[in-house]
Amino acid sequence: MNSKEVISSGLLESYVLGTASAEETALVNRLCREHPELVKEIEAIEESLIHFSSQVSPSLNKALKDKIASGLTFDAEESPVAKVISIKNETEGRLTIYKLGIAASLLLFLTSLMYNVQLNHKLSRVSGELAELNAAKSYLAEELKVQQASLKTMVSEIQILADPKVKTIALNGMNVLEKKSAMIHMNMETSEVYFNASALPAAPTAKQYQLWAIVDGKPVDAGMIDMNSTASVFQKMKSIKGAQAFAVTIENMGGSPVPTMETMCLLGNV
Amino acid sequence: MATKQTYTQDELIILIREKNQKAFSYLYDNYSQALFGVINGIINNVEESEDVLQKTFLKIWNNFSTYDSEKGRLYTWMLNIGRNLAIDSTRSKHEKIRSKIQSTSESVYKFENNLRAEDNKYDSIGLSAILNTLKEEHKSIIDLAYFEGYTQEEISKKLNLPLGTVKTKVRQALLKLRELSKKEIIS
Repeated sequence: MNSKEVISSGLLESYVLGTASAEETALVNRLCREHPELVKEIEAIEESLIHFSSQVSPSLNKALKDKIASGLTFDAEESPVAKVISIKNETEGRLTIYKLGIAASLLLFLTSLMYNVQLNHKLSRVSGELAELNAAKSYLAEELKVQQASLKTMVSEIQILADPKVKTIALNGMNVLEKKSAMIHMNMETSEVYFNASALPAAPTAKQYQLWAIVDGKPVDAGMIDMNSTASVFQKMKSIKGAQAFAVTIENMGGSPVPTMETMCLLGNV
Repeated sequence: MATKQTYTQDELIILIREKNQKAFSYLYDNYSQALFGVINGIINNVEESEDVLQKTFLKIWNNFSTYDSEKGRLYTWMLNIGRNLAIDSTRSKHEKIRSKIQSTSESVYKFENNLRAEDNKYDSIGLSAILNTLKEEHKSIIDLAYFEGYTQEEISKKLNLPLGTVKTKVRQALLKLRELSKKEIIS
């Protein structure tokens, strides 16, 4: 097909109108490379169409251009390469590919950098969480140990109480501890004595409760009562054989070899 | 305006790829009116057409990587985008599928009617001069091929003319337009 035939065929018109098929478009592109005058013809068709629809167009709102521009993103910098556009096509192509390559690798680099930063963030957050979890875990393990110990104590206390040879002795309050009471559990066979101080108020400052066993009408020291012990309800006191009664006095810290009778606050017979 | 820069299509393509603001400005200055004419020819409502024109430029700008100069002219590509968005907009508005084959497309006639309306914004002298010199068959050919985007096969079916005749008529109609635009530039 020579260029005159192409021009008169109507192919170029449908090419510009966008209604040519893919094969026709490829044909026009090829013909344009062979016959540069066809490009001029195409441009003339395009120009006349642009001119025509511009003529029949209502006038455009002057503000529309800025409005549209505000919705678009522009390259902030005036690229210097953009000004070298008049060099030959092939160079342009290569330059563009080169620039695209740089842009793509830069983008890739930035993306991976951002990704790394994000990952790092995530990592430190996760390690923080892990440390917290570990702390919580060791706290719970400690707590479990304490609970197990306390359970063990309770079990042994229950065993003490469940023993038929153990007798419970109520000590009645008097003087400062009027209306209060305490318990003693005594194994009648082994003479082991356990004191239950859970219902007693704290001793006055710098003072301590001291337990006495009355053996043959005489008071015998049965040990100091530790009010700070939280591990168990029972405290094991000294084993006293043949006790007929028990009494508690308030003594200076560390106790007294003989009871101060005026401070006696609990008393009970076996 | 004498110093106004002109770019070849190849130069322009490079600049748009770089998202150069001047390239947008150039595109808008040179093509917006023509695209607006086509869009409004389909929609026939200035306000809606402005919306569609905005969408058209947004799509041109953001989807420029999909433009392939081997598949056609830059203007043709932009024209297709504008045309399709305009057709979509009329479809979604009226919620009816417009059947290409059966619809009565009267965009060019609408211009004439609008011209007769008292309050018209058109360049009436230039436009009526153009329209009056076009034969009826050229008007409908231009309307179908340019504004509605009908292929020559579709025009041939619609107007019940042999494909060869349609090809000739499209060419004649566009030649007529070229003649007219030349005349106007001279006058």
